[in-house]
Amino acid sequence: MATAVPPPCRSEILSLFRSILRSARDFPDYNIREYTKRRTIESFRDNKTLSDPSTIATVFSDGNSQLQVAKRQAVVYSLFAPNIKSIMDIKH
Amino acid sequence: MASKILTTTLRRSLTLKTIPHIRPLSTATAAVTEPSDEISMKGVKISGRPLYLDMQATSPVDPRVLDAMIPYFVSRYGNPHSRTHLYGWESDEAVEVARTQVANLINASAKEIVFTSGATECNNISVKGVMHFYKEKKKHVITTQTEHKCVLDSCRHLQQEGFDVTYLPVKNDGLIDLNELKGAIRSVTGLVSVMAVNNEIGVIQPMEEIGEICKEFNVPFHTDAAQALGKIPIDVNKWNVSLMSLSGHKVYGPKGVGALYMRRRPRIRVEPQMNGGGQERGIRSGTVPTPLVVGMGAACELAMKEMEYDEKRVTKLKDRLLNGIRAKLDGVVVNGSVERRYAGNLNLSFAYVEGESLLMGLKEVAVSSGSACTSASLEPSYVLRALGVDEDMAHTSIRFGIGRFTTEEEIDKAVELTVNQVEKLLTNRFGILKKW
Repeated sequence: MATAVPPPCRSEILSLFRSILRSARDFPDYNIREYTKRRTIESFRDNKTLSDPSTIATVFSDGNSQLQVAKRQAVVYSLFAPNIKSIMDIKH
Repeated sequence: MASKILTTTLRRSLTLKTIPHIRPLSTATAAVTEPSDEISMKGVKISGRPLYLDMQATSPVDPRVLDAMIPYFVSRYGNPHSRTHLYGWESDEAVEVARTQVANLINASAKEIVFTSGATECNNISVKGVMHFYKEKKKHVITTQTEHKCVLDSCRHLQQEGFDVTYLPVKNDGLIDLNELKGAIRSVTGLVSVMAVNNEIGVIQPMEEIGEICKEFNVPFHTDAAQALGKIPIDVNKWNVSLMSLSGHKVYGPKGVGALYMRRRPRIRVEPQMNGGGQERGIRSGTVPTPLVVGMGAACELAMKEMEYDEKRVTKLKDRLLNGIRAKLDGVVVNGSVERRYAGNLNLSFAYVEGESLLMGLKEVAVSSGSACTSASLEPSYVLRALGVDEDMAHTSIRFGIGRFTTEEEIDKAVELTVNQVEKLLTNRFGILKKW
């Protein structure tokens, strides 16, 4: 039986949060970028009140795998970015 | 840390080397020669890619879905029906996982899901396949006037073969009258087909009540749930459906894949439309496209997790859009029932404005009038005609589609552009800005 994974400490969680937001900046697509930022902020805010350590550990590792997905896809989207940006990125 | 340096350098080097207007290794045929800061296509010049508000036509692929699909293009490219080697086994495992993911979203069993090439194929299998299988005893089909073209066309095909079809009319709000449905069912009725969420007006039909009626009269119930999947909660047992058509590219999955739900208890049988090697339990022969199916499964799993969040957000955005337009314009009519509708589909008619000119002026917003399937013809949409909308109001209808990735800024910009264009058209027509 494996020993219980210790739940992440506050600095690890903050570091994960900042990493996902940083990877969101790398998306050339306006909609995906805004969605990643918004969804990350809201889901970290919703999970702030969790108290059970095993739930926190599960949600944290889920967040980590989402970070890996975001990093990979930011590269893929950049490689195939269209030459012309979205109207929302140009005006304003 | 090393991987981050690697990806940054990789990205920088690759984006710098990309020739602006020709991709030498790509086989894309629509080579648009773009000067560096604007697009010119079909006589229209715009400075950037339009903001996308046409979610009913199709939806962008979610990056998490793409992430699930890429390994099956790159390294795990086996045919899931190959029994003898790892490539086949891992591909088959992925297909079965995807099958479970799709089934969980509609509260069905994985054994009841058949993968097809899309909702159109599912509708064809359901309508024609069921009626051909039971043709000795059942000669009658009931459907509505607002169904998708593929259902209506399949019914027309059946009519030419000698079957009887009843096209139920809809009320002004787009819903069918349940008493009319009860009255139309006969002893030889073989199928009732009613779509769950309409693709043009977004109206949600009373599925549970229809399911009860069909159970009472023991008639199979088919529904086209392509627009409903992942947006409203679907339960095949609460709705009592025997057949359900699902589409991948409406739930932020890839195009070219769909799934057909076929009830096992009581078993519904169909005559296959694609004959061949007997894949998918003989219902749909042909190699199952593993990457697409994996994408659809991932999209369905995501939809299950995100449904509540997306729904709240889409409703908020829809209210912002409608209130923003109504604050500046009069004579804006919402087509279809206001209570029983999916918030992400907003079909508006603008009084005294010509539809084609409105769309031509809205080139920075990607919206549609009528559905994508019927936009080639100049006739107003048959769905709006079935609702009893006047000809001129039907011509000016615009469908705004709001989805998971739409932002508040996009909605505000769409409001601004629509209001400007409508005011411009009203001013031109009468020389004065018509206010009433």
